[in-house]
Amino acid sequence: MRAPAETTIRTPGRATLAARRSALLLLLIVAWWAASLALPPYVLPSPARVAQRLAQLAESGDLFTNLFTTLWRVLAGFAVAVVIGVPGGILLGSNRALGSFFEPVLPVMNTVSSAIWAIFAILWFGLSPLTPIFVVLMTALPLIITNVWQGTQAVNADYVELAHTLRFSRFKTLLKIYVPSILPYFFSGARLAFGFGWRVSLVAETLGASSGVGYRLRQASDLIQTDQVFAWTIAQIAMMVVIEIGLLAPLERHLFRWRRDVRT
Amino acid sequence: MTPPAAHVAHPDQRQALAFRHVSKQFPRGDGGALEVLRDVSFDVPAGSVVSILGPSGSGKSTLLNMAAGLLAPDQGRVLVLGHETTGTVDWSRLGYMFQDDRLLPWRTAIDNVGLALETGSIGRREKRERSQAQLSLVGLGDFASAYPHQLSGGMRSRVALARSLVTEPDILLMDEPFSRLDAQTRTTMHTELLRIHRERGMSIVFVTHDVEEAVILADHIVMFSPRPGRVHTELAVELPHPRLGTPDALSLVAELRAAIAGMSADWVI
Ligand SMILES: Nc1ncnc2c1ncn2[C@@H]1O[C@H](COP(=O)(O)OP(=O)(O)O)[C@@H](O)[C@H]1O
Ligand SMILES: [Mg+2]
Repeated sequence: MRAPAETTIRTPGRATLAARRSALLLLLIVAWWAASLALPPYVLPSPARVAQRLAQLAESGDLFTNLFTTLWRVLAGFAVAVVIGVPGGILLGSNRALGSFFEPVLPVMNTVSSAIWAIFAILWFGLSPLTPIFVVLMTALPLIITNVWQGTQAVNADYVELAHTLRFSRFKTLLKIYVPSILPYFFSGARLAFGFGWRVSLVAETLGASSGVGYRLRQASDLIQTDQVFAWTIAQIAMMVVIEIGLLAPLERHLFRWRRDVRT
Repeated sequence: MTPPAAHVAHPDQRQALAFRHVSKQFPRGDGGALEVLRDVSFDVPAGSVVSILGPSGSGKSTLLNMAAGLLAPDQGRVLVLGHETTGTVDWSRLGYMFQDDRLLPWRTAIDNVGLALETGSIGRREKRERSQAQLSLVGLGDFASAYPHQLSGGMRSRVALARSLVTEPDILLMDEPFSRLDAQTRTTMHTELLRIHRERGMSIVFVTHDVEEAVILADHIVMFSPRPGRVHTELAVELPHPRLGTPDALSLVAELRAAIAGMSADWVI
């Protein structure tokens, strides 16, 4: 017998895809440049001017300091959400009474605007890094709990029965059956939570912080430095794209390579 | 302190499994009870292939779950290698193969086989070697790193078989393991199973509702009546292998089918 024949479905190759994406980017920049000719720079600065500003910010070290300040806060809030949310989701999923009791809390938490969390955070923590961290936490937590909870519901009882016939301990069953079954749910929740967390951290920083990308955006906008606003916006989008393409997407492909639909 | 000689248990190792007056009921939603097994007694001699043949719902899976110690009988006793299942039994001497292949989709073939070795203190390397050897035994030596979704139904079934064999069990419990395969693949699996049985000499309890499958595989057939499951007929099959399509096997199949027709009209094949 031979190894199974790989059924490869022809999707556009890497090169064509890269070419397409570059063309799109170029098109957007050209459109932006054309529009900037007709508008005053405090409404729409030209791409060249923004690029210049970006270079300046990078050179002074300002750019990376603030990007990493914000990233660090997002990660901190996200980490606390994972530490609380994973056991919380497992607990709610494994105890029916507890689950149905707390069920209404999550959708309610999801409807609370991040601006409201930010205002509470300012009341409680003032202008401090805790403010954006708290807002990220409160946004990420329900997403992670909900997804992990769903994951526990999706654990196949037949696999648990298999673990029983193999005389696995409770811990071993948790480790070898539950964790791998829940992982895809956790991952999609975590990804969502991270994306949301990044966005709301900017809101929180514009309202209640004295550093970070959100703070600098607010500062630039107060001084009507439109080119700076653009520079920060582009920098933060670029950072998210790098994290997504460079880290999350390959990680997901690796973790879930066993799935039929994920091809490496 | 040594117990008095008269109290020393001398487990009867000639019987791999023994069912003694086993009865089982399940509680029903309406407060009543569903009687699934009634006073079932029979033996599985060590090294033999015993097929439990019965219609769907006659308690065959329930009986296997009792043999595997997952369920306790309401009345009666189940003995594994002479030891009562409610006491201490070395469960590693049992292998279990389900109706579905029940492979973990996130594990490769070799890691699915290795799962059965992850209870004890077996090291990584030994686990790999033993799993690989088992895969080769079932003809899948080259597919160690394939994921379940990349394998055909027959191949998945082989991986499941390898997983139940990797602990080198003395008793293999099989619950309609090939019922979802097409006829040709099923026949191949029968041949494989009999070959492995010849090599290893373990006892096999093979549950099926397919008369032909029972006749092809079994040294003994225990035929169950419809629910509540009782032992209807026990017979020894003393035909040489391979049996598929031989006149003797065909006439035995016909004979058993006639007996079933007399027993119940609603035997589900
Ligand atoms: N845990 C259980 N609780 C309640 N009823 C059960 C349970 N397990 C099996 N049954 C019922 O017992 C009957 C026999 O089941 P089973 O042993 O699976 O039969 P078979 O394997 O012969 O088809 C079926 O009607 C089934 O619905
Ligand atoms: Mg069954």
